[in-house]
Amino acid sequence: MTPADEHALEPDDDAPLDPAQSAALIAEQRARVVEAVDVDARLLFGVWGTAWLLGFGVLWAVAVDEPLIDLAPQYAGLAFGLLLVSAAVVTAVHLARRSGGVRGSSATQGAMYGWAWALTFTGYGAMGYALNALDAGPALTSTVMSGGSALAVGALYMAGGAIWRDRTQFVLGVWVAAVTIVAILVGYPHLLAVMALAGGGGMLLGAVAEQVRRRR
Amino acid sequence: MSLDPVIHSQARLRIMTTLTALGEGDRLTFPRLQSLLDTTAGNLSTHLRKLEDAGYVAVHKGHLGRVPSTQVEATRAGRRAFEDYTAALQALLTPPDVQQLSQEER
Repeated sequence: MTPADEHALEPDDDAPLDPAQSAALIAEQRARVVEAVDVDARLLFGVWGTAWLLGFGVLWAVAVDEPLIDLAPQYAGLAFGLLLVSAAVVTAVHLARRSGGVRGSSATQGAMYGWAWALTFTGYGAMGYALNALDAGPALTSTVMSGGSALAVGALYMAGGAIWRDRTQFVLGVWVAAVTIVAILVGYPHLLAVMALAGGGGMLLGAVAEQVRRRR
Repeated sequence: MSLDPVIHSQARLRIMTTLTALGEGDRLTFPRLQSLLDTTAGNLSTHLRKLEDAGYVAVHKGHLGRVPSTQVEATRAGRRAFEDYTAALQALLTPPDVQQLSQEER
């Protein structure tokens, strides 16, 4: 006698189900779990794309020979920093909500991947500090900080795509890395415009691509 | 084909659907599972016990610091039973004439 047979002898504990109801119940509950637990790439690509577009945009607008907006460079830098920190906060809150109560393999995997991001960007914070201490000018600082950190973003997205076998994420990583290589070669100050339009714009397109993929 | 009675109940079907929606090796804490199911702790415990008796779920009781923490996961046997259940369901939902047709083709 299998365990299933033993239970068949017990009176049923809730309303009987017909097969169609069962199928509907499975579909409904599965959708609910996915909605509650899955990371929403549209939101993450959306907030980061917006932060890059506006953040690099404002840096570029004040860095060109004839500034497009009347803003002191340090305020542009502050705006850039605030935009990135906001995106990071949105990301952290979203990930904490979605992964809350999930333990085991994927939680461990996610935590390790999270540490890769956290340490990389702590490293870029240290790099900024060092460049400042070395009296590096805006051109050098901007090239190293934007170029280096964006390459890291590209690499982390590609790695994320490999870990979760997520083609959208991988393609976005390739795009960000390619855009950054071009931006570095274009050089300061226009590298900032490349990062804003192609980098930030690319992420926003990634958000749209994800939306299209989900609709299917 | 008959439907596995351990899974064929609203409450347990929803539990198994929830746990198998996660990857293998993933667990849910009891409170999170409860909130994903909108059920009472008592009701959830009752049904989890039945699933545990059948070997379909594993309930891990542990502590997070001083706070007791219970985590639940679908076992390999549970995942297989759920797959069989959905396959049986699919067979029941396929109109008989279509079944006959596909048999004739063979």
